[in-house]
Amino acid sequence: MSENETTDDARTDGGETGIVAPDDEVPTWSERKERKAGLSRLTYEYFERSRREDQDLRNESDYVERDVLGFPTWPHEIIRNLSISMFFVGMIVLIAAALPPSLEAPADPSSTPEIILPDWYLYWSFGLLKLNPLNPGLAVLDGGKLLSDQLYGVLANVVVVGAVALLPYLNKGSARRPVEQPFWASIGVGGAVFSITIAALAVQNLIPLPLPLQLNIVFVFPVVAGIITYAVLKTMREGYMYGLNRRYYMLRPPK
Amino acid sequence: MADEFIKGFGILTGAGLVWMVLAGWYQTPSFFMTNQLIAPPPEPGNVFDAISIFLIDIFLWTAILGALTFWLLIPAGREAAAALEERRESS
Repeated sequence: MSENETTDDARTDGGETGIVAPDDEVPTWSERKERKAGLSRLTYEYFERSRREDQDLRNESDYVERDVLGFPTWPHEIIRNLSISMFFVGMIVLIAAALPPSLEAPADPSSTPEIILPDWYLYWSFGLLKLNPLNPGLAVLDGGKLLSDQLYGVLANVVVVGAVALLPYLNKGSARRPVEQPFWASIGVGGAVFSITIAALAVQNLIPLPLPLQLNIVFVFPVVAGIITYAVLKTMREGYMYGLNRRYYMLRPPK
Repeated sequence: MADEFIKGFGILTGAGLVWMVLAGWYQTPSFFMTNQLIAPPPEPGNVFDAISIFLIDIFLWTAILGALTFWLLIPAGREAAAALEERRESS
């Protein structure tokens, strides 16, 4: 990557090479003990270094700094927002005109419709209530079920909500980016995918797939998505962490 | 690379919108069934229907293959070309 090489002073991204700090720059333990100021000194050096890097970049740049905090609302922001909102209004009008949904017969309040559904954002919970095909029949009960299907679905809700409630105690969320904690990021992606697949189970009547296949999809897709996320993030992490380590090399223990 | 993404995305959404509208006209007997957008189209009554029914599959495959072309084929081709170039330079 020698084509990206600029002057060493202006590099702030950690660079591509020189992953490990030079030996003479890594302080030994005795040198660290001699440092009376300790962490405050280290903090000062770190911020001074990044300040200096910013200054060098600014000196190199031909960008003219002006005393503005942002773009004025009129016309910049308004015109941009107007174009965005007009695009979406146009799409709504276009689709409503091109695909008008048929007007069905009015609802009959005296009879319960065949398919009852909550609002779409509760489909995941409704899908959990429809897990009764997984409620196992027990041999000791002559194939009878220990829990009723209704209780089974409610307990599935308890399990999922409990897992979500437990998450903040298992992981404090100190990572700023998914790449810093690939495992927890993959858990999150798996959960997000599960919320979609389990929601699809709620509308199983409307999906032209056999129910056993749908149930497999519900539980296999999140795992697959989590594994893929983990692999991708783990692969990305190498380059990312090396760049970070180079910047924080003073914090690493000496050899 | 961002350019290739938005090209593929534009083709996917643009062609997908036209496909959705045409399939909604000709391949959707009811909005309350599972075969929306995929039901077999009716026999065309006039030349406009015939053209539209013919275009449904064209737009569907344009959306799929267009996005795949810009997201997979072209980047993969560039990677391969770069790898070949690198191998030729090193040897």
